Amino acid sequence: MTGLVRYQIFEKIMDQITDELVVSTIGQPCQEIFKIRDRPENFYMLGSMGMASSIGLGLAMSTDKKVVVLDGDSANIMNMGAFATMGFNAPGNLVHIIVDNEANGSTGFQPSFTARNVKLDQVAMACSIPNVTLIDQADEITPALSKALAADEMHTLVIKAEIGLMPGIDLLPLGALEIRDRFMKVVQS
Amino acid sequence: MSPTDQLYERLRASGLDFFASVPCKLLDGMLKKLAADDDILYTPVSREEDGVGILAGAYMAGRKPALVMQNSGFGNSVNAVCSLLNYFKIPVIFVISHRGSPGEPVEAQNGMGDAVTGVMTASGVPTISIDHPDHLQQIDGEIAQAYAEGRSLGILLPFSFWQV
Repeated sequence: MTGLVRYQIFEKIMDQITDELVVSTIGQPCQEIFKIRDRPENFYMLGSMGMASSIGLGLAMSTDKKVVVLDGDSANIMNMGAFATMGFNAPGNLVHIIVDNEANGSTGFQPSFTARNVKLDQVAMACSIPNVTLIDQADEITPALSKALAADEMHTLVIKAEIGLMPGIDLLPLGALEIRDRFMKVVQS
Repeated sequence: MSPTDQLYERLRASGLDFFASVPCKLLDGMLKKLAADDDILYTPVSREEDGVGILAGAYMAGRKPALVMQNSGFGNSVNAVCSLLNYFKIPVIFVISHRGSPGEPVEAQNGMGDAVTGVMTASGVPTISIDHPDHLQQIDGEIAQAYAEGRSLGILLPFSFWQV
């Protein structure tokens, strides 16, 4: 385990982000990203749990910009077929990051499948994603992400996390169309 | 021209340029055309909800997306349709072979065949049914209207359309 909770991993990731498009999974992770570093290049996917990886793939296939998906272990398992679609297409500008806290954080930290025996890095490898890294040491995060952001091949990073939420998070003050419109403007600029 | 050729020509003429698909026997010719067209972006998808997510991403990058699928798959997509497409006003055109319509040989298809129009309507996706290739011209206006309203559209293609 990295010894870090999800938002501490997000803080490290958002420190390294420059002009990349960031797609964030579901409510509380979106709230954490918003508080760490809100920017128009962030797409806050507030509903449709599981869809972040698919949205990121559609973006990456349609633009030359780098796309970073911030996903969760349970969200991923909910849309596990997306691994196959991502591996089949494997756009070189896609970085898929799964912060794996082995729990359903937003609903009371019920243990997820990865808490027992399911290994998402091995699913990614079996789906032929060209570069897959399992990260369980905190000091491995920054170099692994630097490499993924600089690469011209798709990367999947599975980062092991501790259970916990960022203190003081709240519902986003942005409406759906505000999130969409400012995101589309930077994607298409 | 075959019904497939007429349909594909009409969809492309309406500007659709990013397609995702899940197979159906009735769509076999359509899927071959998608795979062979270098002027579009295209991917098969694992299931329909995966396609809804991919096409939402494509739309935000400026593409005009369509999901080619069998009607049974709409049931796999309802949450993503309501809480992604409808919430963010992202239009996706659903091009749907309507199994369970008159002429259906497989009894197991009838349940979702009967339900699909109601399920789509309740999900905020109005449908039109094209029962003959001669009626394809109405697609253009319907797609333009869906885009004007920032909502999705279902184009149902029953057995009579495919003339099989």
